[in-house]
Formats: sequence, structure tokens, C-alpha cells
Amino acid sequence: MSFLTNLINGLSLGSVYAIIALGYTMVYGIAKMLNFAHGDVIMIGGYVCFVSVMSLGLGAIPSILLAIILCTLLGILVERLAYKPLRQAPSLAVLITAIGVSYFLQNAALLIWGSAGKVFPSLLDGIPSLQLFDGQLTVSGKALVNIVVCLITMTVLTLFTGKTRVGKAMRAVSEDKGAAQLMGINVDATISLTFAIGSGLAAVAGVLLCSTYPMLMPTTGSMPGIKAFTAAVFGGIGSIPGALLGGLLLGVLEIFCNAYISQELSNAIVFGVLIIVLLVRPTGLLGKPIREKV
Amino acid sequence: MDTILKVDDINVFYGSIHAIKGVSFEVKQGEIVTLIGANGAGKSTTLNTISGLLHSKTGGVTFMGEDLSKTPCHKVVSKGLALVPEGRRVFLQMTVQENLEMGAYIRGKVNPDDLEHVFQRFPRLKERRKQIAGTLSGGEQQMLAMGRALMSHPKLLMLDEPSMGLAPILVEQIFDIIQELHKDGTTILLVEQNARAALHIADRGYVLETGKIVTTGTGAELLDSPAIKKAYLGG
Ligand SMILES: Nc1ncnc2c1ncn2[C@@H]1O[C@H](COP(=O)(O)OP(=O)(O)OP(=O)(O)O)[C@@H](O)[C@H]1O
Ligand SMILES: [Mg+2]
Repeated sequence: MSFLTNLINGLSLGSVYAIIALGYTMVYGIAKMLNFAHGDVIMIGGYVCFVSVMSLGLGAIPSILLAIILCTLLGILVERLAYKPLRQAPSLAVLITAIGVSYFLQNAALLIWGSAGKVFPSLLDGIPSLQLFDGQLTVSGKALVNIVVCLITMTVLTLFTGKTRVGKAMRAVSEDKGAAQLMGINVDATISLTFAIGSGLAAVAGVLLCSTYPMLMPTTGSMPGIKAFTAAVFGGIGSIPGALLGGLLLGVLEIFCNAYISQELSNAIVFGVLIIVLLVRPTGLLGKPIREKV
Repeated sequence: MDTILKVDDINVFYGSIHAIKGVSFEVKQGEIVTLIGANGAGKSTTLNTISGLLHSKTGGVTFMGEDLSKTPCHKVVSKGLALVPEGRRVFLQMTVQENLEMGAYIRGKVNPDDLEHVFQRFPRLKERRKQIAGTLSGGEQQMLAMGRALMSHPKLLMLDEPSMGLAPILVEQIFDIIQELHKDGTTILLVEQNARAALHIADRGYVLETGKIVTTGTGAELLDSPAIKKAYLGG
């Protein structure tokens, strides 16, 4: 049963990666940029939730909502102030700006909350765990929440981009901004919306992550951010199912490495697998190579 | 006839490259007007400036009496001006139907009659409505690009080299469709490499050379002009 337990832990961690990866993938798809500050929005989400519960005394649900709202606004603000002025700039300039924003957010958190780790309140402890196979296998409430939230997010976003007018417009913008404008689609507003969605998801991921690993520091978002970015590339950046697949595979791989090979080597192995996959399939597992007809 | 589009002394730059040098022309309600010129003369740049993708340093574009210089690109189409851009630029990863829906984006909900209307004009698209646009043939993509533009009910339809890369039979078909659209009341501004065919169906034409309009006249006049024959119609 330890195999199944590990698998479930992997899926649980992978679900969080997948939610973060979604933000990376959507922003990349639309703005064609790697928003390296995405991981730090997770951390801000964690802190907002922390302050809301510990200092403002709000309940779990209002605190999570507050984190989502503030992170959404933060995402829109960052895009407006840091990225929008660079819309025509070379992608390297945008990338460096994103790294700058990342450090800015980390240092802002350092200034506000200090460098000492904060113990994140246990928001999800009330969720009952699930007993399977006559009690031989226990799925913790947190793991259940992670997996369910991830699946709901994926389903909603897939329906949104596939069925709604605004979602389709978003896909149109991700393919060809000029042509989208010719259709009457407001590209700036669409990009803002994408950052809003991505950052709102980052807040959700922040709460889930901190509930599973309850130590909150200004650098909390960096490593999961990088892993989720890896997951997004692994699955095929720009693809929503790719983010799900990449995130889950990465989570499972990481937990299995920890359990069966070595805790120290797990990151090296995870990234090694990524490199091999990209050598074989440069567009990631579900990424589509685009061919243009002339 | 009323002037529907008036382009007045536009100057367009790509960085330091001065691509359009003081171009002025107009299109009247119900006309087919063609812009012809060699590669790099500035035809696409002119159309892109009218549709708001590019901006002029001077002068302006007036559409149905309204100055468009300050109108953001995404608001232009709702004024009744649609561009079928060079190279089609359909959304390759979206289905035929979704592409057409994007054409009707400004109209909110898609009117099934509009969709049916486009399918009537391009029956091939109806068969393939669920197909991803990237897998259509070049000619089908061109039909899709035109159908997509028609979904917004344009008063003025601008076409940038609609016959590019198509077999002669398809070129003929595209020109027939342009004439049908014109008969149904759409004013047309047509850019073509295929100068002879364009001038045949056009009421008037303008000849663009390195960013300047050098000649203008009716379609027939231009077809007969020895200079034009030599430069654009292959002797
Ligand atoms: N994005 C760009 N950056 C710099 N220069 C450009 C750009 N686009 C066009 N140009 C230049 O502007 C001039 C006009 O180009 P334009 O595309 O309008 O020509 P065209 O008449 O449409 O030609 P074609 O028949 O080949 O399509 C050309 O000299 C071209 O090199
Ligand atoms: Mg051109």
C-alpha cells in the first residue's frame, strides 16, 4: 500500500504544480513571455491568507477569497506597470523585467513580514480523510482538496477557453494579436484578464501549498514556481491539458524519487527527465508544433 | 456618390524606414477600388494603417465622415471596416466555425443566419466547419479569411492579395466572389499582385510606387496605359 500512498501524495503535490503551471502556461500563451514572478505571487497569496487568519481573525473561506482577490489585483498591476510598457520590446528585456519583479516581490515580503519563517495556519485540517480498501489506504483531506481543486480548475478553464466568447477570444489573441484586433478583440484587456486569472490561480496554489507544507517564507514561491514552470514546459507550454499532465507527472516523479531513490537526488532526477523529454519532443508532451501554410 | 473612405496625406514609418510618403486617395460608396504596385511599394502598409494596425505620423483616415486617427484598432471593425489581411491570418488552431465566430466578435452572439450566409457563399467551409483551420488548404483558408471578415457585416471590405498562392481556377473563383459581394452592396478596396484581373473588375485604381501614388484612373484607363502595361501587366 505504500506505493499507492506515494502515488496519492504525488498526485496531490502534482495537482498544486498543475495549478501553478496553468498560470505560467496561460500567460505564456497570450503574452508570449515567461512570467518568472508567478511563483512569488504564490508566496504573496500565502502571506495574505496568513495575515487574514492570524491578524484579522477571518475564517478560512474569507481568507482564501481575500488572497485570491488581492493576488488577482497584484497580477493586473504588475502587468500594467512592468510588462505592458515592454509590449514591443525584445523578449530578453521582458524576461529580465520578470526576474526583477520576482526579486521585488520577495524583498517586499522580506520587508513586511521578515525573513523568519511563519507557520501557516492549518486551514484544511477540518476536511475528513478518505479510507479506502477497508482502511488500509488513507487519503488525507489535504490531498483530496488539492486533487479536487485542481480538477475543478482544469475543467472550468477548459470549458471557458473552449466554449465561451471571451475564452475563444483569448485563444485568438494567443495565436495572432494583429488578427485578433482586426476582429474587434481588445488585446490589452485580454492580456490583463489572463494575468488576473493566472494570479488568482497562484493564490489558490499558495494556500494549498502552504497547507501541505506549512512553512511560509519570502522565498516559499521560488522552488514550486520553477518546478511548475518545468511542468508547464514538460506538458507543452501553452496547453492547458499539458499543464495538468506535466504537473501531475512531475509531482508523482518527485515523490517517487524521494521515496525510492534519494531525497537529495530527486530534483536532479526530475530535471534530468525533463531534459530527456525535451530532447525527444521539443514542444513538450502535448505541445503542438505550429505549421504555417504559405 | 458619397465618399466612404478618405485617406489624406498619410506618412507611415517602420523605425527610420519611410514606407508611405504622403499618400492620399478616396473610395466612394459602392465602388471597387484597387491599389496596385510592385512588391514593397507599400500596399499592405496602407491597408494596415487604414485598419489601425499601424499609425500615420501626419494626415488622417476618415471613414463615413468619422476621423479614425484616434480610434484604437480593435474599435475600427465595429465602424464597418473589415480587413482580410495579407497571408490570411486565420486562427490556425481554431475550428472553421470558431474562426467565423471570431469574425462576429463585435456582434456578441453569433447570428445563425450570418453563419448560414457565409456557408452559402463558401459551401466548402460548411463541410469543414468542425475542422481545425490549420489543416485547411490554402484556398480554403482564403475563403475562411473572407468569410470571417463578412461576419462583421462590413460596409467597406479591404482585401490584401486574396489570390496569393492560389491556382488559376481558384483565383477566378475569388474574383467572382468579390464581384458578388460588390453586387450585394459592399464597397471594396482591393490590393492585388494580379493587376490585370484587379483592374478588370475595378471602377478605379491607384498605382503605388515606393510609398507614393504615381498614377490613378479608371480600371479601363489603367489597363490601356502603355506605362502600366509595361510595368505591371507584363508588356
Ligand atoms: N515590419 C516592417 N519593418 C520594417 N520595414 C517594413 C515592415 N513591413 C514592411 N516594411 C517595408 O515597408 C515597405 C512597404 O511594405 P509593404 O508590405 O506595405 O509592401 P507591399 O506593397 O504590400 O508589398 P507586397 O506586394 O510584397 O506585399 C517595404 O519596403 C518593406 O520592406
Ligand atoms: Mg503586401
